[in-house]
Amino acid sequence: MKSILRQIVALLLLLAPGLSTADAKEFLLGAELPLTGSLARVGNGTLEGITVGVEIFNRHNPSHKVKLVTIDDESSPAKAVAAVEKLASQGVVAITGGYGSNIIGPASDAANKAGLVYMTSGGVGNELTARGLKHFFRTNGSAGYTKAMAGLFTDMGIKSVSIVYSTKEATTELANDVAKAMRARKAKVAMHPFDPTITDFKPIINKVKLQDRSEAIAMVGYENDYVGILRAAKVLRPATVKAVVGVWSLATPKMAADFPDLMPNVYGTAMLPYPAGFRTAEGKEFADSYKRLYRKEPDYLGQFGYVQAQILCEAIKRADAKGTLAKGGLADEVRRTRLNTLIGQVAFDKNGDNPLFQQRMGQHQNGRIIIVWPKESATGKMNYPAVPW
Amino acid sequence: MTALILQSLYSGLLSGGSYALIALGLALVFGTMKIINLAHGEMVLLSAYMAYVMENRLAVNPLLATPLALVVACLIAVVVYFLVSRISRNRELNSLILTFGIGIILTNAALIIWSADIHSTSAPGFQEPVVLGPLYSMRSELGFFVASMVLVAALWWWLSRSWYGRAVRAVSSNRDAAKLMGINPHRTEVVSFVVAGILASVAGVAIYSTGVIQPALGASLTTKAFIITVLAGIGSIPGVLVGAVLIGVVEALTVTLYSSAIQELTGMALFLLVLFVLPNGLFGAARRRG
Repeated sequence: MKSILRQIVALLLLLAPGLSTADAKEFLLGAELPLTGSLARVGNGTLEGITVGVEIFNRHNPSHKVKLVTIDDESSPAKAVAAVEKLASQGVVAITGGYGSNIIGPASDAANKAGLVYMTSGGVGNELTARGLKHFFRTNGSAGYTKAMAGLFTDMGIKSVSIVYSTKEATTELANDVAKAMRARKAKVAMHPFDPTITDFKPIINKVKLQDRSEAIAMVGYENDYVGILRAAKVLRPATVKAVVGVWSLATPKMAADFPDLMPNVYGTAMLPYPAGFRTAEGKEFADSYKRLYRKEPDYLGQFGYVQAQILCEAIKRADAKGTLAKGGLADEVRRTRLNTLIGQVAFDKNGDNPLFQQRMGQHQNGRIIIVWPKESATGKMNYPAVPW
Repeated sequence: MTALILQSLYSGLLSGGSYALIALGLALVFGTMKIINLAHGEMVLLSAYMAYVMENRLAVNPLLATPLALVVACLIAVVVYFLVSRISRNRELNSLILTFGIGIILTNAALIIWSADIHSTSAPGFQEPVVLGPLYSMRSELGFFVASMVLVAALWWWLSRSWYGRAVRAVSSNRDAAKLMGINPHRTEVVSFVVAGILASVAGVAIYSTGVIQPALGASLTTKAFIITVLAGIGSIPGVLVGAVLIGVVEALTVTLYSSAIQELTGMALFLLVLFVLPNGLFGAARRRG
């Protein structure tokens, strides 16, 4: 009798997962990201957020199960195209991910040809949306960053700025947009493009110090560039500089923890202060899930990844309910999105851009990140004039 | 303008010193065994990660990680040599492919173990400015420039004056004749690789102490080291220093006089120009014909 009971229990246990998911429709969601190579850090950070987004969606929607299929594009445009084609052949309903405008461009072209929605937060280049692809969407464009940087400079009353920027596509475009915005405000602008491989920034910062004599340094690059620029500035100490401002990957808890000597008073774009203050139930759930999965505080990459996954999962569910998913209706459904997300309002225009995207500026102060711009979102006062040295 | 150019020359000189430190190990193995170790940059990188581990886990000065870095780099060097020595045909070409593969494995190992995050020392003192009149540098840059000079001199002395150095040159010149003279070619080649590992370990600790490391860095270090080795002329250790400083200075002057956007391009243009005028590099001996 005991053995029969044991067999029945074993059979039930065996069938239980099948029973629970038997009613759930499964959808494959492709993720193409740089998990190795020069962009591995940002690619992995974004994937963490996407994974959390999918996990939370599945938890809230037992009738729909989204399964993530991830392919590493190795930070290479050619491999990104191959990844998209492979994902398409595996039957994914949409693709999310991508980092770097030069990689996202060809990858999203391939997705568009395959009739698949491509959703990203990793490419701010204007040419991405200028193509007017039906299936391309992004949550954040260059304009949101330009507005934040130029807005901060205007509030500071900056009259001259030296823009030190990487010659990569997205950074060049953003630097040019900031320069244009600052010139329109009658500020003097000096441009200093740098090769992404350089490590010694002293010759550039010396030009800022002796030739430009600017009031502010604007850095448009990536983490390793910021460290190099700040170290050079700390050595040369340009006397006229009153503020050092960067963009993404700078006002983060990781930079505060890893480079405590370099970060004080430095500004960067930040959606949240640190320690992170998630006030909404959604934000708290995201933070809890993130910490449970990765045993660390969520950062901005995780937030963007989460939001792009959230938008896609919701749109997949809606398109499925309408029966349009298999007929190419997902792009229309994504276009109908009107969401207040962790990165602010999201709605897409006809080119797939999110014109509502608005960055905030944070400042490193005593190991914390204080939101200082715009005034309505500020969590503290900015230290100005103040430099890291 | 004078102040800008002076600073440029100074920065270029210091950068050249650090380039030389990275290139020495590759130049030694290339010069003595005609093996282009494309995993050399990764050996340097792993040494840098040892400095990171020591500082991060044990909270010690990264310089104290040098012995650990030395052990790791030398172990990898011996493994690379062991694998290369198994190649029986077309060793020059096949070792290139083999070491390239080892480099990829080491890069991905670093990615798995330490993630893709950037790391650099936060130890006090390394980034403090040193001001010599109108010239500015970090304390660590100056320190490692001096270390680079010392290592170039030591390596040159070892190759030209020590018994093992002479043995390395003898094996490089004629393996069979060296064998007849009682030299064990295998042991001599292992010694070459181990010395390259020692040089890589110092370079790794230097890179971690002055700059930023991440898993993808290894390939670019190998490329820079290879360019300098070829520019110097195969087998020339002083040539490595001259070539490295030349590249460093040209790059820095390009930034000051024009734009940093083309500094790598200028370095490559100089490399091609030198090879066009001097096909054996700056200090390479002309190959015997016939």
